[in-house]
Amino acid sequence: MAISSLKFSPDGSLLASSAADKLVKLWDAYTGEIIKTFQGHSEGINDIAWSSDGEYLASASDDKNIILWSLEVNAAVKTLKGHTNFVFCVNYNPQSNLLVSGGYDETVRVWDVARGKSMKVLPAHSDPVTAVSFNHDGTLIVSCAMDGLIRIWDAESGQCLKTLVDDDNPICSHVKFSPNSRFVLAATQDSTLRLWNYQNSRCVKTYTGHTNRTYCLPACFSTTNGQFVVSGSEDAKVYIWDLQSRELLQVLEGHRDVILALATHPTRNIIASASMEKDLTIRLWLDESSIPT
Amino acid sequence: MNASLLNPFTITHPTAVQTSLVSGASFARFDPSGKYVAAGRSDGSAAIWDLDTRAAIRWLEGHVKSVTSVDWSRNSRYVMTSSKDWNIIIWDLASPTDPPQRHATIRFDAPVVSASFHPRNSRIILALLGTGEAYIVDLRKDYRGRVELCEVPEEGDDDAQASRSRSLMTTARFDPSGKHVFIGTSSGSVLVFNTRTKTMVARHKISGTGVMKGFDFAKNGRRLVTNSSDRTIRQFNLPVYLPPNAEREYIEQELEPTHRFNDPINKTAWHAMSFSPDGEWLAGGAADPATHKIYIWDISNDGQFASALDGGREPLIDVHWHPLKSSIVSTTNQGNILIWHCPTPERWGAFAGGFEEVDENVVYEEREDEFDIVSGAWCLYESELALRKKRQEDEKVDIIGGILEDRDLGQAVHAHNGHNGLIGNCESDEDLEWADEEPDNDKKGWRMKIIMVDGDDGF
Repeated sequence: MAISSLKFSPDGSLLASSAADKLVKLWDAYTGEIIKTFQGHSEGINDIAWSSDGEYLASASDDKNIILWSLEVNAAVKTLKGHTNFVFCVNYNPQSNLLVSGGYDETVRVWDVARGKSMKVLPAHSDPVTAVSFNHDGTLIVSCAMDGLIRIWDAESGQCLKTLVDDDNPICSHVKFSPNSRFVLAATQDSTLRLWNYQNSRCVKTYTGHTNRTYCLPACFSTTNGQFVVSGSEDAKVYIWDLQSRELLQVLEGHRDVILALATHPTRNIIASASMEKDLTIRLWLDESSIPT
Repeated sequence: MNASLLNPFTITHPTAVQTSLVSGASFARFDPSGKYVAAGRSDGSAAIWDLDTRAAIRWLEGHVKSVTSVDWSRNSRYVMTSSKDWNIIIWDLASPTDPPQRHATIRFDAPVVSASFHPRNSRIILALLGTGEAYIVDLRKDYRGRVELCEVPEEGDDDAQASRSRSLMTTARFDPSGKHVFIGTSSGSVLVFNTRTKTMVARHKISGTGVMKGFDFAKNGRRLVTNSSDRTIRQFNLPVYLPPNAEREYIEQELEPTHRFNDPINKTAWHAMSFSPDGEWLAGGAADPATHKIYIWDISNDGQFASALDGGREPLIDVHWHPLKSSIVSTTNQGNILIWHCPTPERWGAFAGGFEEVDENVVYEEREDEFDIVSGAWCLYESELALRKKRQEDEKVDIIGGILEDRDLGQAVHAHNGHNGLIGNCESDEDLEWADEEPDNDKKGWRMKIIMVDGDDGF
């Protein structure tokens, strides 16, 4: 019953988690108390995403559906059907009127949130899609898959703008835009994280030291107190690198199994991590010196 | 953001219809961010369409007679609709319900032909009535009231004043800075009023025109196009207007157009016209009763006719150019809204990594030592490669900066253009300060709530 995904709400007060036990749970981000559990999926959940106003949660599941949960009415408000296989990843655009999702049916779908209908189906990859997200202004979509390719799409027309591929094409497990959308951070299953400048298709930074050979581990930027790259690892530790120097700065030990889910708080120096069967805990890592008294 | 990836050449003018929204609309306007279209309908309601999802997201129902114009406040929070039922309604789109809450209703004693917000403060409104009168309505507490803008009668005409009927005001617009109100009259003159003092600062007679039907400004406010009943669109460079003085002096000047635009073959009239955001292109919606035609002229190329866009058999009613990019919205008399865009052909080379499309063959000149194996061990060469890579990777990357520039790009473009046109006179800022007093609640960064809809919503 592994925990598959962790996301902080946009205002940082809540932490949402999803797991293979088909439930979405909401926790208080500062005290760790559980606040709510959402039930509704018939299979395990792979990914969750917050809308920008923190009012809705979208969850992607192995039952091929995406369910939109409203925090206001504490219930599911929409079920998005359309994928023909497990839905693996989901994300809102900054305006939160569109949702992008990718799955084992090798497609990326863009959904109209208000009406719950699929607007576009992009024939994105030739292997299961492992991560999708929008850039900061909602004009681009980045997707990566087990075929090792990272593709950047124009959100409005659905055209492919760029493909980034490294020499070996290892399975790409996670990708996201940098906060200013000039770079993409890609995690691949050759135990490497790469920062790509997609305008000229050059890899500008590489981060190594962790282990990533089997699972889709997320990686995040941490920008609340300096610029860092944070990633989970299959050796049960959380790795933190300095963004510019690529030096491994800190290793957080405490979990006892592969770290499958990671999130960085939007405003404070808090990292949340969660793990697999042998250790079903969500741990919050704080920087004691920076907590306001 | 993705313009650089899509098309390296400057975006010009739209060429094809991207999508058609079935709406029942007569008038349509983009909002200043370009994400929504407000459509006014002949049954008195208005709809807000979201261009990302191509669906109507808000219904503004309140008027009992057809809507005559729609306007957006500068951060798209307020929408104003004017109607033949003698009312103007201001709607607050930040309200979480559909239909959104009415922010204010202003009543007049005649059908309202058009209404627009002051560009800096949506609590100052310009309204034009069907009786030919124009009013500036101020909703701010300290300045509350409505003032009619009256044309100063021509000198030497005092005796004849009573017998000569005052010419009616037929079109009224704020200029992009909001400092002046431009009014077109039925006798073919353009009157310029100062917004703060409500006094006339200029009268321009334009020779040869009949009734003035419409205006549009280039974003910097230095150029004006007028549409008149002689079926010609004229472009003028506006003179600099001095701030109003105590004697209420005004300029009496005849303006000569820099360009004239018309349809030389059929001499069709024009319903509406709109500048492109950079002022380089002018789109004119033709009042052709048989087809939907938009003429595009290239201002930067001496006003040459560039292209006529054909939108099918339903005649056009209204045209508006997107505030930021190369896109146009036009309405047909059947109520359909057409969104025009510049279609970019799909670049299939983008699906393969490492491919770059070139227009001509590039001859590759290899360096003398390009393929040399470094003498000594192979591992020396490898370590040199690794060192080179490491040095490259040591370069700093910026993952945070540059966002504000993108988001404020639209604002920055407007501000830049606006400041180019403003006189560097400290007195002119008095008008801007007056407008900025008691600001409205239209702040950037407000969010439109996504309202879930069941099933497929028609209109």
